[in-house]
Amino acid sequence: MRLSIDHIVPIPMKDKIDEYNSRVWNQQLQFNSGEKLFIQAPSGTGKTTLVHFLYGLRKDYEGSIRWGSFKMHDIDKEQLSQLRAASVSVIFQDMRLFPELTTWENLEVKRRLTNTVSEYDAEKWMDKLGIKHKMDSPASKLSYGEQQRVAIVRAMLQPFEWLVMDEPFSHLDHANRQRAISLINEVTEMNKAGILLADLDDNDYFTYTRKLLL
Amino acid sequence: MKPLKQSKLVSKLLLRHRSNNRLWLSLVALFAGTTLLLIAVMIWWNFSLILNGSANNDSLGSTFLTIGKNVTNEMMGKKNATLFSPREIEAVSAAPQVEDVGVLIANKFPVYASLSIAQGFATDMFLEAVPERFMDNKPFGWVWEPGNTQIPIILSSDFLNMYNYGFAPSQNLPQLSQSTIQALAFDLTIGRGIYVEHYTGRVVGFSDRISSVLVPQSFIEYGNKTFAPTTPIAPSRLIVKVKDPSDKRFADFLKKNDYTTNSEQLRWNKMRSVIEAVASGTGLLAMLLMGMGTLVFILFIELTIAKAKQSLSLLLLMGYSPRYLAMFMLRRFVPLIFISLGTAAIIAIALQGIMAKKLTAMNLTLPDLPGIWVWAALVISTAALLTFVSRAIFNSLKGND
Repeated sequence: MRLSIDHIVPIPMKDKIDEYNSRVWNQQLQFNSGEKLFIQAPSGTGKTTLVHFLYGLRKDYEGSIRWGSFKMHDIDKEQLSQLRAASVSVIFQDMRLFPELTTWENLEVKRRLTNTVSEYDAEKWMDKLGIKHKMDSPASKLSYGEQQRVAIVRAMLQPFEWLVMDEPFSHLDHANRQRAISLINEVTEMNKAGILLADLDDNDYFTYTRKLLL
Repeated sequence: MKPLKQSKLVSKLLLRHRSNNRLWLSLVALFAGTTLLLIAVMIWWNFSLILNGSANNDSLGSTFLTIGKNVTNEMMGKKNATLFSPREIEAVSAAPQVEDVGVLIANKFPVYASLSIAQGFATDMFLEAVPERFMDNKPFGWVWEPGNTQIPIILSSDFLNMYNYGFAPSQNLPQLSQSTIQALAFDLTIGRGIYVEHYTGRVVGFSDRISSVLVPQSFIEYGNKTFAPTTPIAPSRLIVKVKDPSDKRFADFLKKNDYTTNSEQLRWNKMRSVIEAVASGTGLLAMLLMGMGTLVFILFIELTIAKAKQSLSLLLLMGYSPRYLAMFMLRRFVPLIFISLGTAAIIAIALQGIMAKKLTAMNLTLPDLPGIWVWAALVISTAALLTFVSRAIFNSLKGND
């Protein structure tokens, strides 16, 4: 599934968009399936805004975003849920777990939606990221690092053609980050999916095909 | 690790904040409202069944009434004042609920009856005739043609009762059974002076419907033509087939024209007004309760959804579709609606059974199961409720992104 971004400008930033020397805002971009993109976004350049636009959480922009045949401005709620459940997975900067559910329940809510990943794999991946022992802990009791790892595993529990990530490792130490990167690589490979990672600083977590400055 | 059921997880997220008190309150109101609604429809429906005389409800009185003009003091001197003119007969046929009108023609000639086996039993009497379609039973041998010396007679059961329970005990006479009366032959002399004819009269049957001494119409016509050719032949009483004698408009018609009737049928119109008032009152209360129940139920759903707003948004973010979540809510709450409405229906069915059984003892037949109108009321209220509830669910979910 190809991702097309055509001259998108956030309406709140419209007046000062020319001040940014952005390679994304107000640009025409096409990303082929399987690409690995890194978007470097210094503070205040609209990194999270971009992720929200891409995931259909906000629509206050000019221009257009297309995921394959889905135009994000015109997409209806049923199509959007279909896109989210089966084509585009996401790891938010703020994790967005259900605080009242346990770790395992948080994962099951996602896994049960499509039932495409086995329970065995889910447990294996939790184990790989070192959160298996927190299975029955309520998400509200987990540390940020643990929550981030749960959010990463959760994003893997669905079929996807693109994985969108917003500062996915901000709360992880080096070792845990490496394990998370390895898991993401493994599952992305399995899905033959592309990735789009937005972060503050330049990095080489993945073998990016393109790096853009926001 | 044990796999978790998706619906259980969604339920944990969306229904955790629900207020069970509100839910129970609304379900009880819905149940009570529906029960009352069905009872109101049942009262109305059963009463119409009884009144319209479908089924074997003749004991409430047939739908045949004999009407005459009220004899007032002013009328007393005037001959023929109580006779019905053709125009008046037409007006009666056009009256509300009237299906058929027949005339009761009386003899205009003297009739004198005597019993040859009991010397001294002799009386002047009257005869009447009525079209055959108005008779409750047409006995065998109910024919007369000029030349026949035998005249069949149908006697009102009331007359026999009056004799058996009133006259006979007071005069120390034997009571007579219907078959004994039928075995007797009366000598009937008709006419006056030298113009007389002699006949043998025999009671061939009894009538509950018409309070008179009936002979075949051909005989009365023959007698009136032969012995009173100049007297106008106009009926003094009419027999009317009425669809629903409890209809107030029919009673009003009689009252307006100052007609009298021998039947107690008309008392049903008072009863009907009472029943209608009870049924409408119950129906109104039912609607009110159902309306309140529906309102509380919808508020309960909206509040539950509003309280679970965060979880709902996050579920949508995960890729759960609004339709799935709406269906999940419907699956959770619609069975509760069906249970409360179903219980109301069961109570209605049971009540109808009990009512039918009780009324059988009173010689009234009612169906054992509620009729189509009761089911229609149930189906319509269920459909309306489901529409309101599903709209509330879809609309509340629409508000979330």
